[in-house]
Order: sequence, then C-alpha cells, then structure tokens
Amino acid sequence: MAVVLIVVDDVFIREIAEMMIQDAGHQTLSASDVDEALLLLRSPQHIDALFTDIYLKVAVHGGCDLAHAAIALRPKLRVLYTTGNSITEKMKALLIEGTHFLRKPYTQNQLQNSVRDLLAA
Amino acid sequence: MSEIVIGKKAVSGIAASEIVETVPSALIILDKNLNITSANRAFYQTFRTSADETEGCHIYDLGNRQWDIPALRTLLESVIPHRASVEGFEVEHDFPTIGRRTMLVNARKIFRPGDGGSILLAIEDVSEERAARAESKRNWQLTQSIVDTVRDPLVVLENDMTIVTASKAFLTMFGVTEEETHGRRVSELGQHQWDVPALRHLMEKVLPENKPIESFEIEDNFPGLGRRVFNLNARKISQPGNHAHRMLLVFEDITDRKQRERDALSLTNEISHRIKNNLQVIVGLIAYEAKWTAAPCVQGYKAMQARIGAIAQLYDLISQTSRGRTVAVDAYLREIAKTMSASLLGNMSGIDIEVKGDPLEIDPDRAVPFGLLVNELATNAIKHAFPHGTGHIMLCVEQVGDQIELTVVDDGVGMKDKGSAKVPEKRGSDYVAIFVRQLGGTIVPSGSEATGTTVRVRLPLLLVPPGSAERVAA
Repeated sequence: MAVVLIVVDDVFIREIAEMMIQDAGHQTLSASDVDEALLLLRSPQHIDALFTDIYLKVAVHGGCDLAHAAIALRPKLRVLYTTGNSITEKMKALLIEGTHFLRKPYTQNQLQNSVRDLLAA
Repeated sequence: MSEIVIGKKAVSGIAASEIVETVPSALIILDKNLNITSANRAFYQTFRTSADETEGCHIYDLGNRQWDIPALRTLLESVIPHRASVEGFEVEHDFPTIGRRTMLVNARKIFRPGDGGSILLAIEDVSEERAARAESKRNWQLTQSIVDTVRDPLVVLENDMTIVTASKAFLTMFGVTEEETHGRRVSELGQHQWDVPALRHLMEKVLPENKPIESFEIEDNFPGLGRRVFNLNARKISQPGNHAHRMLLVFEDITDRKQRERDALSLTNEISHRIKNNLQVIVGLIAYEAKWTAAPCVQGYKAMQARIGAIAQLYDLISQTSRGRTVAVDAYLREIAKTMSASLLGNMSGIDIEVKGDPLEIDPDRAVPFGLLVNELATNAIKHAFPHGTGHIMLCVEQVGDQIELTVVDDGVGMKDKGSAKVPEKRGSDYVAIFVRQLGGTIVPSGSEATGTTVRVRLPLLLVPPGSAERVAA
C-alpha cells in the first residue's frame, strides 16, 4: 500500500479525505498549506503520491506551485490535483504534464478510484 | 523614284496632320504677332469655337477677348521670347463659354524658313484633376480631424508599415511628437512594446489579404503610463479610385475593464471555491455516515452523493455557458451530455448521447432544475435502457409555440418490456415530477414506440423577457 500526502486547507475536508484514502488501505500524511507540505517533502519520509487542493488559503494556485516544488524535490512523485473551480486554459498550463485531476465535490469512490489510477499509472 | 519621294512627303504631311487632329490636348499655332494660324479639333471642341472664328484672329481677341488673360500674356510676352519652350504653365481663368477652368499650357517655338517663327501652344484642361486633388486634400483634412477627434489613440500606416499619421490622442497618451512617429514602424516605438511577432504576423496580412485584426491584446509596462493593457484593432482603409491602401490601427486602453474582469473572476473563483468546499463537506458527511450504516442503506447514500455531484457540475456548466444573465440551452445540453458521457459512460462505452437543440435561452434561476431534470432522465436511460451496454440517447430541446419541448429518447429495451431491466427507480420518477412542477411544465404522454423510450416534457418558455433583468437579478 502507498503513502499519500494530502494537502487541503479545510480541516474537515482534509480529514474526510484522509479517511477515504485510508479506507482504501493506504497510509496518509497531511498538511494545510505549501510550507507544511514542503517540510514533509524535504524530510526523509517515504511518500508515493501527493493529493493537493489547487486553492490553498490565500494562494489561488498554491497547489500548482507546490506540485512543481514537490516534483523538483522528488521527480518520481505522483500528483493528483483537486479544485472546485473550473479548469481554465491558464490553469491547465500550470499543471504538471501527465498528472491527474479530481473535481470537487468528489465521492469516496471517485477519490479512491483516482488514487488507484494514479498509483497504477 | 521621284514619285516615291513625293509620295513619302505626302504621307509624312498627312500623318502630321492626322496626329495633330488625334491628340487629345487642344493645340494652336500662333505667328510671331500672336495671330492664330491654325488650331486642332480638340481646341475647337474644348473651347466651343470653330475654325472660322479662330484662324487669323489675334489670340487675345478670340471669343470676345476671353483669352486676354494676364497669366497668358505673361507667358507669351515675357517668358516665351527668352526661352525655346515652356512646360506646365498653369492658367486658371473664368471662360465665358465653358466656365472656370484650370489649363496647363506647354509652349514651344517653331522655326520654319520664311515665316519668322511660330509658337505652338498645347493646352490641356486639368480642371477635373485639380478639383479631384483639392477634394482629396479636403477629404484628408476631414479624415485627420476625425482621427484627432477619436478618443482612442490611433495611427494610419503605409503599405510598408510605417506611420503616415498619428492621432493627437496617440501622441498625448504615449508622450511622443509627430516627428518621432512619422515614417517609423509601430514596432520601433517606445521601448518596442508593440514588437510582438504574433502582432507583426497579423499586421502583415491586413493589407494584402484584407484581413482585419480584432482585439489583439497586449499587456506591458509603458513609460509614464505604468502597466497597461491595450486591445489592438486594425483594418484596411482605401479611397475609391485610389489603388494605394493604408491601415488604420486603433489602440484601445482596456486596463480598467481588464482589472474589473479580473476582480470579478477572482470573486467568482472565491465563491465557487467556497460553494464546492461546502458541497464537499456535505458529501464528506454523507460518506462518514455511510461508513457506519448498514449495507442495504449505503446505496441510498451513494445516490445522494451522486446527485450533489450533479448539482455541483451543473453550477460549473452554467458558469461556462452563461451569456451574461441567461444560459444558452443548446450549449448547456451539450455540456451536460459531455459531462455525463465522461462521468457515467467513459471512452469505451457503447452508449452515445446526441444533442439537438434550438438556440434558446433560459434564466439562471431555472437552469439548475432544468439541468437536474435532464440529468435524471438521461441517467435513468443510461442505467436501465441498455442491459447489453450499447445504444443511443438523444437529448432534444426545441421551441413549440410558446413552450419549450424537452425530449429524451433512447433506443433501448423500453418500459413496456416488463421482463427487461428497465424499471426506473421510484425516487428518480418522483424527482422528475418535482422538477417538471418546479419549472411549471407537464409531461406529455408518448405514443407506444416499437423500441426504446421517449419522455417528452413541455415547459413554459424559460426565456428572460426583455426588460425583466431586474427581476432576474433580484
């Protein structure tokens, strides 16, 4: 089973996401913003995948910036984005090529399937 | 031999006379005393006179002394005596017979043995050309005054992309002088902010291909102006009868509008983020409840999650298809079909969804129940009509009189086949009935189809009536 780092600023949504992913048999780590996430990514902690909201607190594209920094630190890391906003062409240009995307609100099945596909890719 | 020589002389003489008669310019020959010895047909026609009235007459006495013109006197008495020829001498005069005319006179001295010298005058009527030139000048002055009146900065460019003229608004806004702009290319101006390859490429097509530039956006820092956003529009301008073409390039400062749009977009994104997070919280709560609920009830929780997801998707679709205060139904249906295909069917599915829609509009208040109605009917067809996994669904919306008719048709197993898998869930049917009532419509009973199912719903026109924008906003 894999280790998934969940980066979501809303505590309730983050914890429910942890529950959903743990129910699929994975381990989870969590952070509420870019800085917290980078601390974990810079640590020796094993991490297979990053599941991040694009809108993080005041950073409208904080998740995009985080993903780029994360891939720079760990090139083999898998990335799954989520957002409630429409994906504009401008936003698409900020996403890392080959990464996955899940639209909010997502159900338990949708999140678990997305993580499964992400790890299998 | 002599006959041949005589013949040649004769031919030569005839030819000269023919040429003189054919030349479009009026020609007269004066002797040394300025008496007219001969004139050609063009002269008689132009000045409405005849050979009898002309030949032997003194030039100044001709036609009741209408040729007694001070400028002509100057030419004949002061200029010609000292020069062998004069070209392009312009004479403007009111002729009693033909009115005010501008004549271009070419004069040449002719010396022939024994006649003491003659003067050939070729008189060309250039009145129309001069009038056209004056008209062109007036037009240009008018154009320039219009150019200077337009509030948006603009420039007029030559074929080679150099600036012919720049409006006062352009000079003022960019803090440049006319001398600094005239003859220069737009790409060379300022700190080369306009030197953008894509713009250059488009500008090169304006004149040869008559392809206007519409709203080319450039954002940059401009000296003295700060960061600005300009919309550039260019089109070919031509004058009737003139082969030379020019380009009009207008610079629309859209900085404030752009900022308002960005603010509105930020606000929309912020609101959308909050709404979706709240919906995510609800879906999370349901997921948490489902975790501790007995298995028979879990399916109901999952259906509830799916419907919340559908509402969220519909909000996205409304924001994508909305034309201001209204939602385009045809585009809205296509988006619903696309989303359903992606989320419920996938690329490998044997079920396809077709959309046929009249270009109708509905107000956003009723877009969500309308979308949920379509969602419920189409989901029902996907789930129950095709036990073998292949089939065709059509979503159709058209105006019938003063109503909108929504039709969802599938070519599946049909509802009459009791042994089939198509037994719609009661809750789904209830929802359809509720949405139809919410929209003030009715379900139209369908005839018995050989195959498949047709659900036809008549709704009142959901168009926003003109002048009711306030009601919608409220």
